[in-house]
Amino acid sequence: MKLMPSCYEVQTDLTEYAEGALPLTRKLGIWIHLLLCHVCAGFLRGLRALPGVAKVSLAPPDKAPEAAARALAEVQAALRKNQTH
Amino acid sequence: MTEAPPTETDLILRASTGDSDAFGGLVQPHLALFYNGIHRILGNDADAQDALQDALMSIHRDLPRFEGRSRFSSWGYKVCLNAALMVRRSRVRIHDMERPEPLALGPFDARGHHQEMDHAPEWQVEAQAHALAEQHELRACLTRALDELPDTHRIVFVLKDLEDWDTEDIARHLQVTAGTVRQRLHRARVLLQARLRTLLLGGRP
Repeated sequence: MKLMPSCYEVQTDLTEYAEGALPLTRKLGIWIHLLLCHVCAGFLRGLRALPGVAKVSLAPPDKAPEAAARALAEVQAALRKNQTH
Repeated sequence: MTEAPPTETDLILRASTGDSDAFGGLVQPHLALFYNGIHRILGNDADAQDALQDALMSIHRDLPRFEGRSRFSSWGYKVCLNAALMVRRSRVRIHDMERPEPLALGPFDARGHHQEMDHAPEWQVEAQAHALAEQHELRACLTRALDELPDTHRIVFVLKDLEDWDTEDIARHLQVTAGTVRQRLHRARVLLQARLRTLLLGGRP
């Protein structure tokens, strides 16, 4: 395998790279590529930032939706039924 | 003088004996959190409501065993995620087919390198996305993109990137290899990032 991977190969392997799951030579090749290629480096920054952005923007709403209230009401009704028997 | 509101410990004790009002008072402050966690895994309201109902029954059943080592909300949240995973295992997985679509990468030249590198837009995700993070538009965009992922990919993204589970734990729960988890996670991240980039760059893919 050639030492310096292409942009396609780098972008395909970035999650494995970030998790330390690649063999040393592959890891080294990607590391060097990222030093030289600002597009792939930017792509990696985007992948790294995604969880933080998603956590904030997909945080629970202040108020529970109707479906949640219905589920709780069902459970409370079942508890009341058990209490009376 | 007004009576002090019951503490969480009081509510747990009363709910353990079957007091439905106490159980409601205990769970209500965390209901949005519980439902949100379940919905992110299952992706639809009907399944999420069923799973939440199962989870609330489990929480009530196991209350006598809750020892207070963690916060009630954290303990209850774990029960909810497990209930969502159980529902997911038991239902017909019509969306589980791996879509044969390629990763949303590139464009690349014949050697696999970027074309027109000097003109490729640099996505300043940290600055732009965080500025938009609390806006409704971004939430809607990410929610839609998450919904469009195959179940197998969405669940991995949710557990790894939103719930901070270890790759090995996810693999064990889903009964796949760690390599498969990483592969699905990568595809999910690439697709979500592509959607986000389109939004942030004003429609440019």
